[in-house]
Amino acid sequence: MANLTPTTPSTTEILGDPIAPGRKAAGRALIWGATILLGLVILVQALGAAGQGPMHFDNWRPALYAYVLWAIAIGAAQVIIRGEAGQRALFILPAALFTIAVVIFPTFFGLYIAFTEWNLSSFEGRRFNGIDNLVELFHDSFYWKALGNMVFYVAMVLVEYAIAFGLALLLNADIRARKFFRVAFLIPFMLSPVAVSWMVGKSLMEVRFGPLAALAKELGWSQPNFFGSAWAASFSIEALDAWVSIPFIMILLLAGLQAMPKEVQEAARVDGATPWQSFWRITFPLMLPVSATAVILRIIFKLKLADIIINMTYGGPGGATDSVSSYIFRQYRDRSNVGYGTMLAMFYLVLIIIFITLLLNFVSKYMKKVT
Amino acid sequence: MKSHIYELAMQASRRQVLKGMAGATALAAGAATLGSFPKDARADFRADLLKIPGVGAGSPTDADWQKVGEMCLNATKESIKEGEFKGVELTFMGLNNQNQHNFLYRGFLKPWEAYTGAKITWIDLAQADYNPRLQQAIATGTVDFDIIEMGAPFEGDVCGKGLASVMPDWVAKQIEMDDYVDYLKAPVGTWDGKTYRISCDGDCHNFNYRTDYFTDEALAKAWKDGGGQGDWGVPKTWQQVQAVTKFLKGKQVGGQDAFGYLDPCKGWGGFGFYFLGSRATAYAKHPDDKAWLFDVDNMKPRINNPAWVRAIQDVVDVLQYEPADQINADPGTTAFQQFLAGVGGMVSWWGDVGSNAKTSDSSVIGDVVGFSILPGSDDVYNAKTGKWDKLASGPNYAPNMAYIGWGVYVMARVDSDSKKQKAAWSAAAHLGGKDLSLWCAAYPSGFQPYRNSHFNTAEWVAAGYDEAFITSYLNSEKDSYNHPNAAIEPRIPGIFQYYSTAEDELQKIFAGQVPVQQGADNIAAAWEKITDQIGRDKQVALYKASLGA
Repeated sequence: MANLTPTTPSTTEILGDPIAPGRKAAGRALIWGATILLGLVILVQALGAAGQGPMHFDNWRPALYAYVLWAIAIGAAQVIIRGEAGQRALFILPAALFTIAVVIFPTFFGLYIAFTEWNLSSFEGRRFNGIDNLVELFHDSFYWKALGNMVFYVAMVLVEYAIAFGLALLLNADIRARKFFRVAFLIPFMLSPVAVSWMVGKSLMEVRFGPLAALAKELGWSQPNFFGSAWAASFSIEALDAWVSIPFIMILLLAGLQAMPKEVQEAARVDGATPWQSFWRITFPLMLPVSATAVILRIIFKLKLADIIINMTYGGPGGATDSVSSYIFRQYRDRSNVGYGTMLAMFYLVLIIIFITLLLNFVSKYMKKVT
Repeated sequence: MKSHIYELAMQASRRQVLKGMAGATALAAGAATLGSFPKDARADFRADLLKIPGVGAGSPTDADWQKVGEMCLNATKESIKEGEFKGVELTFMGLNNQNQHNFLYRGFLKPWEAYTGAKITWIDLAQADYNPRLQQAIATGTVDFDIIEMGAPFEGDVCGKGLASVMPDWVAKQIEMDDYVDYLKAPVGTWDGKTYRISCDGDCHNFNYRTDYFTDEALAKAWKDGGGQGDWGVPKTWQQVQAVTKFLKGKQVGGQDAFGYLDPCKGWGGFGFYFLGSRATAYAKHPDDKAWLFDVDNMKPRINNPAWVRAIQDVVDVLQYEPADQINADPGTTAFQQFLAGVGGMVSWWGDVGSNAKTSDSSVIGDVVGFSILPGSDDVYNAKTGKWDKLASGPNYAPNMAYIGWGVYVMARVDSDSKKQKAAWSAAAHLGGKDLSLWCAAYPSGFQPYRNSHFNTAEWVAAGYDEAFITSYLNSEKDSYNHPNAAIEPRIPGIFQYYSTAEDELQKIFAGQVPVQQGADNIAAAWEKITDQIGRDKQVALYKASLGA
């Protein structure tokens, strides 16, 4: 059926183009001028840096200034060429150009760095080395060990989720001092992981004078050693991280529980459902959207785990507790190995993107299936 | 590193304090008129300098640092006219650890600024930020400081790349460089025969042990009954350290579980490698060979040679006899949470253990600690012949000059402006002056003794320090510094990259994940790669230069 809705003519169609051709030409000239200036500055500096050009600046700062000038010129040209429409564009254009400058450009520049040999102590400076870093990555046992550890850490998010759900149910129940417990349970999340490393890991879990060690001795562990073996250290790191982050999952789930309509639970009770049936058949499915959000966010945080590891074990013993981030930290900070460290980070980014995409697809399909 | 020695000194009597303060006040008034001292006048001056702020008068403040700076300005006044550097602006980059280092330097240099007319801007860095900040400045060509407080291991990165200014002769004279302990003299601080560094600190690992362990009669009897070799006593060699460590497992001293040597097995940003080095130098540093970490001609790593492998194997062999969580102990743990807290009988460390033993609140071993140079070895590996030698002189000792201490360096970027260059060197020379350095060694400053004149115990005792303790402590430092077979750290670019990589592999070895030789081979391979990355030919040249070979 034909669309019978009459189309409204635009202002331009009624009044004609209010922007004079000369003004448009000036705007275009501004764009071209600024673009040529930006291109020239970059070209001069790039050639100079490569030792090819007749001159170059001391650093890349002039290129940054040229980019800022170019951005201003582009914005001004939009108004000059397109009038009111150009003004509307200015609401988004600065943000877009800023994003290009601080996100997109660094990402692509980082990708370039990943394919260079750039040791800060090197006499030759940065040097393109093709896929050498990638090849080295595939032979780097520490990196793959760290990736394996990340599988463990990420898997433990499910345990954290289960504990957090239990706590959220408790805090949603009609218990005494509920408000106090809600605040108290949030305190670990407010603490810096570095502080937790010291207060819990290096004090409470200290094997000589730590109260947790004393408790372990009372319970029959003759020589408690929370970080002495690979498995103990991994679980201890996980416990510290969980202690900090479970409140985050808990608070999201608690918000979900509080938003859940009470009538559904009451109807289930009237129908004679047991507490378990009520939870498993009603609460849990209804909480799935919130649960999925909480778990995915927690996984994203977990993939960046580094601070507790660096403070507590420095990745040891023998790389048993290393996360990818803590290993990259050592490559950058201790070894000034910028090129290879960037390749490790970029490869990890790709893995994360693939993993999160698959995870979101899985969650989406699962949600459709159960709801 | 001297804050706790200072605290010890604060235990001296109030009478001494008042007497000292009176003398200091009198001297402060007259100090500006003194030029070159007659011998006795200088001794008096130094004695009075040590009384600022005075023993028992509390921690020094900025006013005290300025007073010290003012009193020590004489040398500057001899070579610089008042207001000579008016209009000169300098930038100084250094540390802010424990509110020391740059904090003191600000006070010391304030009178210098007032006298010369120059102005100094400060860049303060935390220790952990120092290496990345310096490396980035070098790599990106953005050196934005004129004077830097820097450790000798970074000389390869700075002096080796032509970024530092060569020390003028008048500076060497002003700071009385001949007074440096032997190991801080050339080649340390020099590249290709040119001098770049004004030392303001000295570093080495010494051997700290529990005297109560080695005078315990029950242990002596058990040692003898168990067939221990020789008399029960402080180990003099690593072979003895191994035997004693194994023996002590399961024994008790003073009702506490006894342990022997404490090995740090956890990485410490590269600094943990120094402690394997302290175990290895007696095996690997042959008196006939300056090199011990790399071959001189090609930078081939020696980390997987029999000497180093033996040192690593030693750690593996005794790890089961050390405290249960030793695999997760870094050097900070071994010194401060274990040894000073009463766990373990022996530990290698910088001078901090000795300076903390009597005065730190967490130390329980103040009255039962002794010091010596690092243990030796009955035999030493000769990398040139590939054989183990037994020296006619007895065990081979090779104290580990770990980190070689802090120094003040002037950057080459001031060289194009002669006035600015002279101003920068004058400021640096003021900080590295002989008398000012004594004050730094005696008071909380972050710096250890490093001049022969610092080991005049009479000066320390006169200032109020306990003679027996100071004598023992200073002797262990002095004997290490001046040892003819001291193992000097290679001052080559990226040295901490080598150390950090080694730490990762060593952790795998200590965790039992790879055999010792294979792990050592892995380290060697990684080191070869770093050398290639940085540039082998230049590394070789700089390594030779750093050894003076």
